[in-house]
Amino acid sequence: MRAPDVLQDEALRRVSRADRLLMVASGKGGVGKSIISISLASTLSEMGRKVGLLDLDVHGPSIPQVFRSERLIKATKHGLEPLRMNGLELMSLGYIVRDSPVPLGGEDKMSLLKMMVALTNWSHLDYLVVDLPPGTGDEMILAIRALKRHPRSGTVLVTLPSKLSLSIVRRALDLLRDEGIRVLGIIENMSYIRCGGDIVRPFGSLALDYSSLGTQVLGSLPLEPAVEEALASGKLPHKASREVMEAVSAIASRIEVMM
Amino acid sequence: MHEWSLADAVVRSLLGFMASEGLDSIKEVEVTWGEILELDTGIFEQAFYELSKGTPLEGAKLVLKEEKAYFRCNSCGAEWDFKTADEILSREFEILEEPAGVRESPLHFLPDLARTLLRCPKCGSRDFDLISGKDLRVSKVVA
Repeated sequence: MRAPDVLQDEALRRVSRADRLLMVASGKGGVGKSIISISLASTLSEMGRKVGLLDLDVHGPSIPQVFRSERLIKATKHGLEPLRMNGLELMSLGYIVRDSPVPLGGEDKMSLLKMMVALTNWSHLDYLVVDLPPGTGDEMILAIRALKRHPRSGTVLVTLPSKLSLSIVRRALDLLRDEGIRVLGIIENMSYIRCGGDIVRPFGSLALDYSSLGTQVLGSLPLEPAVEEALASGKLPHKASREVMEAVSAIASRIEVMM
Repeated sequence: MHEWSLADAVVRSLLGFMASEGLDSIKEVEVTWGEILELDTGIFEQAFYELSKGTPLEGAKLVLKEEKAYFRCNSCGAEWDFKTADEILSREFEILEEPAGVRESPLHFLPDLARTLLRCPKCGSRDFDLISGKDLRVSKVVA
């Protein structure tokens, strides 16, 4: 008999308490996964859903950079309580170790991820949105285990409209498919720049490449300097411009229908 | 305070294990816990027996086995124990235990953060291994 993996069992159980589990992944770094995770979580919350946002990025947690808080994470009888801000429940290692480095790999990282997820005490959520770091390492492996066990789960993949980005996203997509994970579609970020009345596509168009992936494009977001300005001034990224807000809202609505 | 949530995790995991193995009852379960977790074993036992009530796990004897923590530096080869680690632990980061309002090191909740919260006491490197004493695991089940 193989002894049970206590922490993994508990991590998967706690994640499965949410009605729907939505992973935001890419495989490629720097494509805006965290901004999209935050924007989707916030938009779903504004649509009246109860949403939690879990930052699984151990080495470069981004969520505390947007939802800034000096509050300490609290531990209760039920585990570690997520921070409650802007109508969301938030958990990120960044709220615990702030800007300090977390040099970890292999089994130690997996062990940390399991313990963090096993201890986080989410309330009964409509959605748990999980922001995955780049790559197909420990974080994605744990995510895949959770996705497999959750009856209402899905993954969105974020890419830039570049062949390099898409080639890496394709690997993540292949992995997810091989594992039987439901991929809802692709979000193309930094797709175009609006220049006066014109739309400029600095990376060109990948429409044909997407069609070969066998999944749909859920939406495209512009390369919008106002997003950075919004972040610098403490505003949420999806509120940066009307165009971004409408695009995120349309993607969130599609995800609602699909999940 | 995390004793209750960890005991809950052990109980639920064991119940799943019993179901998958077709076990109606368990005589004894041994849980190994790492020194870094700083478990209050009295609270853990109380939580375990309380949470087991009314489940197929009720009546199982709990044996708690502590595993001492040891660290080894990959840069200079120094080794140290938990007492030393606790003395040099960064107090910069804290988790607030409620309702007592006590501030605790995150190390007791997330032992794998050791490299963030500690440095080798001899050479100051973060490149060290936590050789033992961080886990919580079911180490033996007697059906």
